[in-house]
This record gives sequence, structure tokens and C-alpha cells, in this order.
Amino acid sequence: MEFLSLITPLFLALVVGGTFVGIIFGAIPGMTATMAVAVCLPLTYSLGLENGLALLLGLYVGGISGGLVPAVLLGIPGTPSSITTTFDGYPMAQRGEGEKALRIGITSSFIGGIISLFALYFFAPTLADFAIEFSYVEKFLIILFALTVMAALSKDMLMGIFSGFLGIFIALIGTYDISDGGNGKLRLIPPGTEYWLDSGFSLLPVLIGMFGLAAILDEAELGVPKGQSKEDVKIGSGSTFSFSVFKGQAVNLIRSSGIGTFVGILPGVGGSAASILAYSNAKTFSKTPENFGKGEPAGLIASESGNNGLTGGALVPLLSLGIPGDSTTALLIGAFTLQGIQMGPLFIGNNPDTWNAMIFAMLIANVAMFTMMYVAIRYFALVVTIPKHVLFPIILMMCVIGAYTINYGIMFDVWTLLIFGLFGWVAVKLRLEVAPFIIGFILGPSAEIYFVKSIESFGDLTIFFTKSWIAVILWVLIIGSLIASVYMSKRQRKLEARLL
Amino acid sequence: MDSLTQVTIDFDRSHLIFPTLIGGILVLLGLAIIAKRRHKLAEAGAYWGQIASHMDKPRFLGTLVLTVLYFSLMVPVGDIWPNTGLGFLICSIPYVFATGVLFMHERTLKQMLLMLVISVVAPALVWWLFTEIFFLTLP
Repeated sequence: MEFLSLITPLFLALVVGGTFVGIIFGAIPGMTATMAVAVCLPLTYSLGLENGLALLLGLYVGGISGGLVPAVLLGIPGTPSSITTTFDGYPMAQRGEGEKALRIGITSSFIGGIISLFALYFFAPTLADFAIEFSYVEKFLIILFALTVMAALSKDMLMGIFSGFLGIFIALIGTYDISDGGNGKLRLIPPGTEYWLDSGFSLLPVLIGMFGLAAILDEAELGVPKGQSKEDVKIGSGSTFSFSVFKGQAVNLIRSSGIGTFVGILPGVGGSAASILAYSNAKTFSKTPENFGKGEPAGLIASESGNNGLTGGALVPLLSLGIPGDSTTALLIGAFTLQGIQMGPLFIGNNPDTWNAMIFAMLIANVAMFTMMYVAIRYFALVVTIPKHVLFPIILMMCVIGAYTINYGIMFDVWTLLIFGLFGWVAVKLRLEVAPFIIGFILGPSAEIYFVKSIESFGDLTIFFTKSWIAVILWVLIIGSLIASVYMSKRQRKLEARLL
Repeated sequence: MDSLTQVTIDFDRSHLIFPTLIGGILVLLGLAIIAKRRHKLAEAGAYWGQIASHMDKPRFLGTLVLTVLYFSLMVPVGDIWPNTGLGFLICSIPYVFATGVLFMHERTLKQMLLMLVISVVAPALVWWLFTEIFFLTLP
């Protein structure tokens, strides 16, 4: 219980404050949990690891949860993971049950978050213990598996794989690092840019550019759609909320939270897939599927417990294998790197207090989210009226601070922010998949080391197939994921066509 | 058969192995995408034309121009008062104001004055927080 010494008033204040700010980000359409974490990262530079994580985890939980506010009240998902919340939440709000729908969503989010937290607490250390035995060969195959799973769950498998490999390729720009066993030579650098690109592109400016600046460029392209007025926000008082609405919904809650957690564990798959899968399953197993899409509380319960189930699940591969489960947890890798912590199977064993503090922070964040939103939902509902012309310039300014201070004052990192902000904007137009790109970018340097060192050590390419039974299983999973992708992409298209 | 799979790595050239492999895979994937989407590629001009025609050009291009100006001026201005972060503060105030006005829909005097106050207070607060409390370097 030594970790309790880390739970200071500041720690608690950061979790609660982070959750509060996260809810606000999540509640404003066009702003996401990922953006909240990206923008607030510079605040963690001086906070130390545990306090920094307290803030970021609060932002994560709050950001995912806040998306339900505009989804219910305006029919616009605040974050992509709230898309199915609009299906039943908005019709409820239209018939004067906005407050009731919000409270159903808040309670479901809380339960989803807590169930996924249990999964994280018990599953991540087991997976990490198992992964400690992995050699470079298995570690390389794990990365390959992560990329194929991401590609399999992308809208277009080919583009998903291409995006992942493009991320790896861009991550290789710069020096083949001597500290990792490389030869210290430069590669992939255009002539004349050696001074800036000697160490390649820094991770955080790339992430902040792709999730902060790119999102604002998207909004600017659309003319920064005008915010809602107070008159548009009809929270309603037609029907009061009672916990009895959850009677008979235990299976739905557990199933949807479980689906969310499982989807979170799969690398690079976002919350929208979690909520769509949870929603469609709830509809399939419902005795009254015809009510779904017309204001059925069971649909709202499935969607919100599913997307909050993602929060704990996405941390499992990050904390046990060093592979981010989604784009927001990819940013957490940046926070760990800042504090000099290497993510991977050894993390939990070597940092038990940090691990316990993280679990505690997630628990507090979920409780804080539930309490704040349940009690003050009428005020949070007004968040959707905050004008974007006030928020966006401040976010842009915070992006600059995040990029500039990451390496203690390098202006090229600020230009990196702009380069990747523009790239993020163009990538969507080219149908590139951002999540596989980012995860490829993060894992690229490790993949290189594992691949090259494996060949240097064994001198034979067959080692990737014959090293151990784990390698064989990983190949089965890699091939299986590619085969499944063809089937799943067809099924996903049908599902989305039916739901949307 | 064994010799086909055996590889000896020259350490001096080991920095090129993985980039070459990934580059090769990208070329193959790129060709596969082109083959699969050849019909859509023929319509690429129209696609980008549509994006350009639907775009709010003043806001989109204005954001880019202001951001490039902001980034370009920050260091030269900061060099006048080195190690104070004043380059960030002095450039952020007009940048926040200009982008705020650019994104605004109803540019009334009241709104403009409100934006002016925000564009002074927010950067000043952030500058104070990061330089005085967190002791971080700003341009």
C-alpha cells in the first residue's frame, strides 16, 4: 500500500480537475478526449509522473464521458465514440426526457468504466508477466500483430495497412540510434535538412499536430460551425430519472462493458467501434428490437457502457506490452516518455506504486465523472453553448506550448506541429487511417530494433517462424486477423448501413 | 534451401535494412491501392475540386497564414528579450485575437471587445503559469 503516499491532495485535485476539463472537451462537438490530453500535456511536464498521469487519466475518462451530452441533447456526437448514443438519447430528449436520458448515460458510463477498470487491474499484470519472456523475435511479431489487427478493423484494410507502414517509415527518419544498438548513421533525410531531422520527428509534436491542429483545421474548413444557443439546449423535465430503469439491464450492461473493454484491448481501434458493436449486440438480444432508435433506454445503456468500457481496455496493451490501445493512450506513451519511463512488460513489475496510483486515479476519475455529471448535468448541458471562436485560438496556443517545451525549446518541433497538423487534415481526405499511422509511428523504431537484432543474432529469416511456440501462435493470429478482416469489413459495412 | 533464408548483416549498412524493407512494402501496397482504386483516381481532380469549392477558404487559409506568421515571428520577437518567454506572449495576443475574430460569426463591437479581453488575459495567464510556476522555456 506504499502507493498511498503518492495520493496527495494535489493528486486528487488533478484527477477531479482533469475529469472536469475532459467532460467539457468531450461535450463540445469537434473536440475530443484525445485533443484534451494533447492540449494539456505540457501541464504535466513539471508535475512528475504520478501527478501528470492523474491529470491525463482524468481527462481521458471525462473526455469519453462528456461526449454523451451533445449526443443526447443535440443529436450530435461530442466524440466519435458517442455516435450510437444519439440513436436513442436524442429521441428521448425530443420527447422531453433529456435529463433522464443523460442520467441513464452517466450511470451506464460509470458502470462501463468500473467494469473495464477491473479488467485492466487483473488482466494487464498477467499479460505483462507472460510477455516478459518474449525475445526480440516475439516482440517484433507482437508489433506486426498489432498492425494487422488495426488494419483488420480499419474501414479499408489495404489503407489501414498502408497507413501503419507509412507511420513506421516516417518514424525511421533520422539517426539509427546508437543507444538502441544501431550504427548511428542517418537515413531518409532530404539533403540540407540534417540539422533539423537528425533525431527525426519528435513524437509529441506529431501527436499534438494530428489531434489538435488537424481537428481545428477540419473545423476551419467547415467555417467553424456556429455553436448552439441556450434555447437549443432542451434538457426537459418530462420524466424523472430512477435507477429502476436499469432493472433487467444487468446482462446488457455487463455485455456492453465487456465488448467495450475487449475492443479497447485491440490496438488502434477507437471508441466508435466499441459503441457500435455494443449497441448492435444489445439490439440483437433485445426482446423489443423495434424500439431501438426511437428512444429505447437499453440502446443508450449499451452505447455508453460500451464506450466507457474502452477506457480500461485501451490501457491493457499499453501497460503490458507498450502498445497503445487507442489514439488517446498513444498520447499517454508521450507522457511516460517525458518522464523517462519505458513502456513494456516490465513497467508494472518495476513501477508497482505508479501502477496502483494509475488504477486509483482511474477509479477516482470515474467516481468524479459520475458525481459531477449526475449532480450538475443541467450546467454541463450548457457547455455545448461555449463559442468555438473563443476556445480554438486558446487551444492552438496551448498546442504551441506543448510542442515547443517538449525538448526544452526547439522551434523545429513547433513547425513539426504545423507539418503534421496539415498532414492529419490531408490524410483524412486521402482516406488514410490516422490511428494505424500513429501507432506505426510510435512502434516503428522498436520494430526496427527487434527485427534487425533478431536477424543479427540468428542470421536466418526462418527464426521468425521457428523461435518458439509463441511465435507460431502469433503467426496464426496475424494470418487469422487478416482473414477475419475481410469478413469483418463486410459485416461492419452492413451493420453501419443498418444503423445509420 | 537453408542458404536462401540465411542473412548476414553488415553492421555499417544495418541502418538501411529496415527502411528499405518498409519502403518496399509501401511501394507494393501503394501499387495495390492504385490498382484497386484506379477508377477513383481518375476522379481525383473532381474530388479535390469539390473539397476546395465547399471549403470556407477565408477561415481555412486565414488560419494557416496566421499560424505561419505566428510561428515565424515568435523567435525573432523573443530574441529581443531573451529567456523571458515574451516572444510567445507578445505574438500570442494578436494571434489569439485575430483567429478569434476570424472564427467569429457575428462580429459585433461587444463580441470584439470580449475577444480582445480574452486574447490578452488567456496568453498572459498561460505565460505566467508556464514561465513563473512551471519554469518552462518559452520562445
